[in-house]
Amino acid sequence: MAATKPGAAIALAPPSQLIRRLSQSLLVLPAYQAPIALADAPPAFTEVGLRYTRYSEDSLDSDKVIFGSRDRYDIDVTQLWIEVPVGASWSVALDVQNDYQTGASPWFIGAQVDGQPGVIMSGASIQDNRVEVGVTTRYFWADGNAGFAISHSDEDDYEALSLAFDASWNTADDARTWTTSFSSSSDTVNPTQGVIPVFIEEEELDTQSGYFGVSQILSRTAVARVGINYTLSEGYLTDPYKLRDQRPDRHERVALSAGYRRFLIDADASLQIDYRYYADSWGTDSHTLELGWAQNFPQSLLTPYLRYYSQREADFFSVIADFGQPYFADDYRLSSYGAVTVGARWAVTLGDWVLELEAERYMTDASWGLYDGDAAPALVDFWRGTVGIVWRFD
Amino acid sequence: MGGPARLVVDGVSELATPIEALWQILSNRLSDLEQRYSRYLDDSLVSMINRRAGTRAFTEVDTETAALLDLAGQLWQESGGLFDITSGPLRRAFNFQNGGAVSPEHLDAARALIGWERIEWQDNGLRLPVTGMEIDLGGLVKEYAADCAAQLMREAGVKHGLIELAGDVAAIGTQSSGTPWLVGIRDPKQDSSILTVHLTDSAMATSGNYARVIKHEGRAYGHLLDPRSGLPVEGPTSVTVIDTRCLTAGAVSTVACLKPEGDAEQWLNQAGLPWLIINTDNAIGGPIADAALH
Repeated sequence: MAATKPGAAIALAPPSQLIRRLSQSLLVLPAYQAPIALADAPPAFTEVGLRYTRYSEDSLDSDKVIFGSRDRYDIDVTQLWIEVPVGASWSVALDVQNDYQTGASPWFIGAQVDGQPGVIMSGASIQDNRVEVGVTTRYFWADGNAGFAISHSDEDDYEALSLAFDASWNTADDARTWTTSFSSSSDTVNPTQGVIPVFIEEEELDTQSGYFGVSQILSRTAVARVGINYTLSEGYLTDPYKLRDQRPDRHERVALSAGYRRFLIDADASLQIDYRYYADSWGTDSHTLELGWAQNFPQSLLTPYLRYYSQREADFFSVIADFGQPYFADDYRLSSYGAVTVGARWAVTLGDWVLELEAERYMTDASWGLYDGDAAPALVDFWRGTVGIVWRFD
Repeated sequence: MGGPARLVVDGVSELATPIEALWQILSNRLSDLEQRYSRYLDDSLVSMINRRAGTRAFTEVDTETAALLDLAGQLWQESGGLFDITSGPLRRAFNFQNGGAVSPEHLDAARALIGWERIEWQDNGLRLPVTGMEIDLGGLVKEYAADCAAQLMREAGVKHGLIELAGDVAAIGTQSSGTPWLVGIRDPKQDSSILTVHLTDSAMATSGNYARVIKHEGRAYGHLLDPRSGLPVEGPTSVTVIDTRCLTAGAVSTVACLKPEGDAEQWLNQAGLPWLIINTDNAIGGPIADAALH
């Protein structure tokens, strides 16, 4: 790390040819033996953070609803975390998250009097509380770091236990970083009998996931990264709260991602471009393109962003579920659609404290996508707002 | 070292070494460097080499001195002969005390005594072949000392520290609050800062040529001289460079001050490090200035 302005770090680029030649003479000197910048030092301070998010889905248009409440989900998420350095090479982190969810969701899609598909919503509003606790330990050495995490998630109708391992390491000149991670999750579904009749008692599913990626400093002001992710889920993958839903018991997913960051000295801002391609064994594939602009101000960083998403429907999706097939689903999340997200993040530094604010608007429409497919009437739009505060101290 | 020294350690309680012991270690190291490389101390290694100029005796040098001389040689080559640690006699030809005038005979006599290419080398030693020749490592050692001090502090467990030796700065980590070290680049004309740079784990060196001590053919010049012509250089007023090492930052900024302004900017861009230049017309330029003024 080198000269920095608040919020913007300009990494000193790999040495120029001239500096390399000049440095040849200095190699023998003890003053220059150890790595100058300890690229992977554990956090020098303790960090405590608290974040609150409100997620609110728009109500359905009345002409799309056959029966039930037009109101959809609202979710309040509260996150608390603490990360503490331990000795010279370790850190430990504790994460606690609470989601409180209320509202109704689509139960199934039927045909209206005029033949148009319409949504039959789940009856009265549900209330569900989920708590997730995770612990991560991380070890740092001169060229990298590795972490191991365990987390447990619990709610009335779902329980999950997961383990994750990640590691990253830097090349000698700090210009390239390799990253890998693996995770394994074991989930139990125990749907609540109540407003919506459910037809299973208890089922299980397991998920394994692996990621491999590399990031490269291209110049004094530019960084690029690419990565690949593979995920396999096996077990009960059907949605128990949907009347007409029968999914395969195996789901494979691959995602290729690439990102580019360019710091513009004159503007004192960073241009951020991210692209992701996803494909799975259920016939869905998708493209995501995100553009962001991180603008520095004396005490803060403002990042407006724009994201475009386009998805192809799953093989067994149809707007009104087709019982004739071995697998079927009318879940709008498996349909063809395009989505646009507009949002902004603002981080303000006040001494030891950082205040974070974020707002986002997400809108979907079947005609915005690159792929053909029938429009699911239950496509959702939502608002999301987040406020958080982080405290760092020695 | 010829200037004030300031050493700051933030977060003393985290150190493996007690702070008093650390000051002693640092003080010893800096004295040791002064003892070896100071022109002003009669029994320094450099003074011994200079005293033996014109005799047949080679003076053996240790690995550290050899490395610094190696760097001096590289800089001489990379700068096309502008950076020359043997150019001391040339300075004396310009009588700075008396208004900085020079006579042509003095200039010719001085030029006979300078030239890195004249140094004779043997396995571990060197010899200055003509009486009156001398080498001066002062400029390089000052920045090297800052890097040495930084290394010693890091080894003692310092995570937040700052070293300032006569205008050159080396920063270890950030301040203990997490904010970078704030270091000002001095305005050579006044006693104030032109702008403030934020340093984290990096060093900043400034070279200047602003004291108008030479009068030559009706014009006033700074004290830097071109060893190839014997005349004052027409370069920038001041150059500041940032790098992970103070020594390389200082080497680059020193050479930049010896070049004409246009060439100086080309040299700085070639080095690929953040830089700031103050030209003779007081214009300020370079990536450091561009980043700060926005």
